Amino acid sequence: MNLKEWIFTTDHKRVGVLYLIGSIAAFGVAGVMAMLMRLELSQLGPTLTANPTQYNIWLYAHGAVMILGFQIPALTGFFANYCIPLMIGAKDVAFPRVNALSVWLFYVGIILAILTFFIPDPPDVMWTGYPPYSILTTGNTALYTFTVLILGFASIIGGVNFLTTVVYMRAPGLTWNKLNIFVWCTLAAFVLQLIFVPVLGTAVTLISFDKYLGTHFFDPARGGDVLTYQNLFWFYSHPAVYVIFLPFFGVVYEIVATFARNRVFNYAMVVYGGIFGIVALSGVVWVHHLYVSGMADWIRIGQMVTTLLISVPVGLMVIGLVGTLYKGAISFETPMMYALGVIFLFLIGGLTGIPLALPSLTLHLSDTYYVVGHFHYVMAVAGTFAIFGGVYYWFPKITGRMYSEFWGKAGFWLTFVGVNIVFWIMMDVGVKGMPRRYYDYAQFPQFEHAHQIMTFGAGIIGIGFAVAVINWIVGAMRGKPAGDNPWGSMSLEWTTVSPPPHGNWPTPPSVSEEWHPYGYGDGRVSSDEAILHTPDVPRVS
Amino acid sequence: MAEPKAYLADPALGWDRLWHEVIVDITIIGVLFALLAAWFIWKYRRRPDRQQGEPPKLTPAAGVAWTVIPVFVFMADDFFLAANGWQLWNTYRDVPAERMEVQLESGMYSWDYTYANGVKTQNELRVPAGKPVVLRMTSRDTLHSHFIPDFRVKEDSMPGRVTYLWFHPKKPGEHLVTCAEYCGVMHSYMSGRIVVLPPQEFEDWYAAEAAKLQPVPAAKPAAKKTKKSA
Amino acid sequence: MAHGNTHHAASHAAHSHGAHWDTSIWPFVISFGILFALPLAFSFHFVYHQPFVAVMMLGLGVPMILAGIAGWVSEAMGKGEGLSYGAMGWFILAEAMIFVSFFALYWFLRLAEPAWPPAGSVELPRVMPLVMTAVLVASSLTIHYAEHLLHLGDAGGFRKWLLLTIALGLCFLGMSAYEWTHLMHEGFNIGTNVFGTFFFTITGFHGAHVIVGLAIFLAGLPAALGGRASPGFMRTAGLYWHFVDIIWFFVVSQIYYW
Ligand code: HEA
Ligand code: HEA
Ligand code: CUA
Ligand SMILES: [Cu+2]
Repeated sequence: MNLKEWIFTTDHKRVGVLYLIGSIAAFGVAGVMAMLMRLELSQLGPTLTANPTQYNIWLYAHGAVMILGFQIPALTGFFANYCIPLMIGAKDVAFPRVNALSVWLFYVGIILAILTFFIPDPPDVMWTGYPPYSILTTGNTALYTFTVLILGFASIIGGVNFLTTVVYMRAPGLTWNKLNIFVWCTLAAFVLQLIFVPVLGTAVTLISFDKYLGTHFFDPARGGDVLTYQNLFWFYSHPAVYVIFLPFFGVVYEIVATFARNRVFNYAMVVYGGIFGIVALSGVVWVHHLYVSGMADWIRIGQMVTTLLISVPVGLMVIGLVGTLYKGAISFETPMMYALGVIFLFLIGGLTGIPLALPSLTLHLSDTYYVVGHFHYVMAVAGTFAIFGGVYYWFPKITGRMYSEFWGKAGFWLTFVGVNIVFWIMMDVGVKGMPRRYYDYAQFPQFEHAHQIMTFGAGIIGIGFAVAVINWIVGAMRGKPAGDNPWGSMSLEWTTVSPPPHGNWPTPPSVSEEWHPYGYGDGRVSSDEAILHTPDVPRVS
Repeated sequence: MAEPKAYLADPALGWDRLWHEVIVDITIIGVLFALLAAWFIWKYRRRPDRQQGEPPKLTPAAGVAWTVIPVFVFMADDFFLAANGWQLWNTYRDVPAERMEVQLESGMYSWDYTYANGVKTQNELRVPAGKPVVLRMTSRDTLHSHFIPDFRVKEDSMPGRVTYLWFHPKKPGEHLVTCAEYCGVMHSYMSGRIVVLPPQEFEDWYAAEAAKLQPVPAAKPAAKKTKKSA
Repeated sequence: MAHGNTHHAASHAAHSHGAHWDTSIWPFVISFGILFALPLAFSFHFVYHQPFVAVMMLGLGVPMILAGIAGWVSEAMGKGEGLSYGAMGWFILAEAMIFVSFFALYWFLRLAEPAWPPAGSVELPRVMPLVMTAVLVASSLTIHYAEHLLHLGDAGGFRKWLLLTIALGLCFLGMSAYEWTHLMHEGFNIGTNVFGTFFFTITGFHGAHVIVGLAIFLAGLPAALGGRASPGFMRTAGLYWHFVDIIWFFVVSQIYYW
């Protein structure tokens, strides 16, 4: 293996793999932070550290790295890079060098995030970075600002690249109605990134301006206003949850369609109702994060309604997914286990967002562990399960080898049990009043037992995810050859050899009128040459 | 609940009621979808004689129907929830005229209350039973959130704006106040309590405290220019 | 650009070094240049108060960025421009959102103030911004004309009008800098009050975009001088420049004359 051709690569698949390695590493680091936090909370009073700031730094790093360093890059970096050109029959992205720039900026962002553990006075501003604290703290808010800015910029140039790629570089015959759901979802996510990341970038830049350059954006004594930060921040960060949700649900769609060998139910509804609906609504619900922050009443009421209405397009996407199981021929390999897990866990996560959407209920629930439980179910659990399922699903394509099915399932069941222990209990103690971001909970001694169980459950989750990662590493090195299309999928990425060579196909494929990525059930099989024009690809490795 | 619709006058009662209602609602939706999915997963597992899915072909009309009908069903539920949420919200924002007002300044890391007669307390708010209490809140440094779990209410306080919350203590007793907005190193230790006293006991304490105060110039110098949040 | 498909014929010998994968080191160099020049330099200067280390970081990072851009341009100039125009459209959407955020903040805070400009502000010059506007509009026209000449194949004319555009852009920056120093002499700066804060950050961000626009032109300049200018590149660069120009209208009308 030629290391130089990996590090300086401009090939979308290798850039994708670099993204995968970086984001899983970030997940590991942030996961260790979670374990430290859980240990600290396992007993009343100081446990691992007597210094609350230490805990706050773990929590800051956990939240920021999980979202900005793990999920968004894994979804819009790894999956988008690896799959989109293959799914649309392109030989690469529109701007391969820009792609390489975006992955290395991502690594710079990760390095900055990890510097947190090595610098004096690391940031302790939580992933939300609210002023005035982020301006008053002795912690290094600039590090937070730059981490967000650089990861955001990496994502913006990635978005520009992929939007251009999909608009201009689809294979002949591949019309918009033949795009994989994953491609649609990811495009939508990139549109959201392009519109909203700059707003976040502005917000986090301005806190560093206030702190280091003496401006007064958030300083009420000089005409500024602290609430404006929260508005800018959530104007991005709510859409950001759909930047995570859309691609991960897209991954689940790919897996479910393939393992059910079934057509996606009501494709047009999923795309034009579900995905477009989410994009349309995502920018007008942010105030549900500010229900208790002193916003005007009229805007809270208005955004209560829009927030509730988000359940409509999301519900359509759930119907499409469950409908895809209907009259399928379902098999249960590891990727499918994760994908099916997502259906159930996402229902829990999404539906527990509904009480939060009502400002009157949120007056009690906000900033408690109930919220923490909600978003771990929907993002940390459903999202991570989708990512892990997706890595398993495309693993044979990426490496040309097979992982161990036994360890795959073992890892799945461990995490499945673990997450339900931890995050269900979180919601319960939250409703009973346990506030979030607490280093200690002397006021709530009655929750000590619950916290202990959560810490225990977190250990199970950690083992489960580690089993999966080890399974990949071992599989990539020693797995059995997998063949080009082990799952019998119709989708274009499976028509080339595994792993695909540089350029993907010797000449770009074209697709016929009848072909559809989900055209199962018409008696055809995936390798039907009549509907796909993909010349033989010589094997590279 | 003694009087009918008592929940419409007291946010804490209304909260428990609405919470119950919403939980039932989302549990039904969740269980329906989960059962349906589980049933499909079981019924349509791959068998030797069926290797490919056999989806029915949706006609365009059926496709539209499968979109529009769920949309309306979901929207109906959303509006039902919104209406209920709104009703309770009005209760939360409609402060009874018959009330006691207390100023609150929060800071790292204490709750500083000032009563109408100038009496000040820290981390302990004494109130008479049976009378709604309104807090007018601001902060001298970072964000804080005055959270009273027992009364199902919290609201942030911040520099430069005045926010408010109210609750209705009915019986004598003690209630925890704890900070729910990350405000700094000692955030998790920033707690206090609300002591609800029998009305007479409260009056005695209140008068005694007031008597202890020196006759000082009425109000403290006007705080920094503040914006009122609507 | 991916030009790899011709190599597949040779890929039988894949197990050795036969298979060729495209590489470029410049993205890597630029990324780490940014690490040194922005976060590290800023942190050393403003957070840890070690200006000397900060300067060293800049000394490391800025040359890396410049070398990276130069290497990139010489490696890739003239490839992929067919798509770059569309891509620039998406990029401008993102850029525009930065200014949308600023103006939203500005309107929000300004409308909440009882009096504007708040105490401590100084009278802004009235004529200078008009001249600046004229200069920037002129530069938008000159670059448009330059593109037109390039399209017609008049390399010499194109070069002239491109240089004129760059000169106008520099002129704009010069006036901006003059105005800043002038205002700061009168004691009006970024920390004076919320108006100073907005004035300097918004004009500063806009100025930074002018610099970026000029940098894109400069990146294309060697090719232009050598008569090898790529119409696609210039069209894309021109699009960005028009965008910077349009933003200026908002800056002028909202900050100076409202
Ligand atoms: C992937 C991430 C993700 C996703 C998809 C969601 C989805 C939703 N979220 Fe969540 N949320 C977060 C991540 C996410 N959230 C995070 C990270 C936070 C906390 C941030 C922080 O403070 O640190 C948060 C916080 C948060 C809050 C603020 C709480 C607070 O701080 O006080 C609220 C309030 O409304 C909320 C609501 C919702 C709603 C209504 C949805 C909806 O989109 C859910 C829609 C889905 C369903 C409803 C289920 C499927 C639908 C059906 C089966 C159809 C039928 C259903 C009905 C008719 C109801 N979320
Ligand atoms: C995608 C996002 C994501 C994910 C996956 C997680 C995962 C986990 N989270 Fe996280 N969490 C957040 C996002 C996420 N979280 C956010 C945004 C916050 C709010 C931050 C804030 O308040 O600002 C938060 C807050 C938060 C809290 C609240 C703390 C507080 O408010 O005081 C807690 C408490 O228990 C917690 C726990 C956990 C646990 C136990 C996991 C576990 O699931 C983690 C398990 C994973 C591992 C242990 C890693 C396994 C190891 C590997 C994969 C590496 C293996 C490698 C080799 C073998 C080579 N999280
Ligand atoms: Cu005060 Cu948290
Ligand atoms: Cu949200």
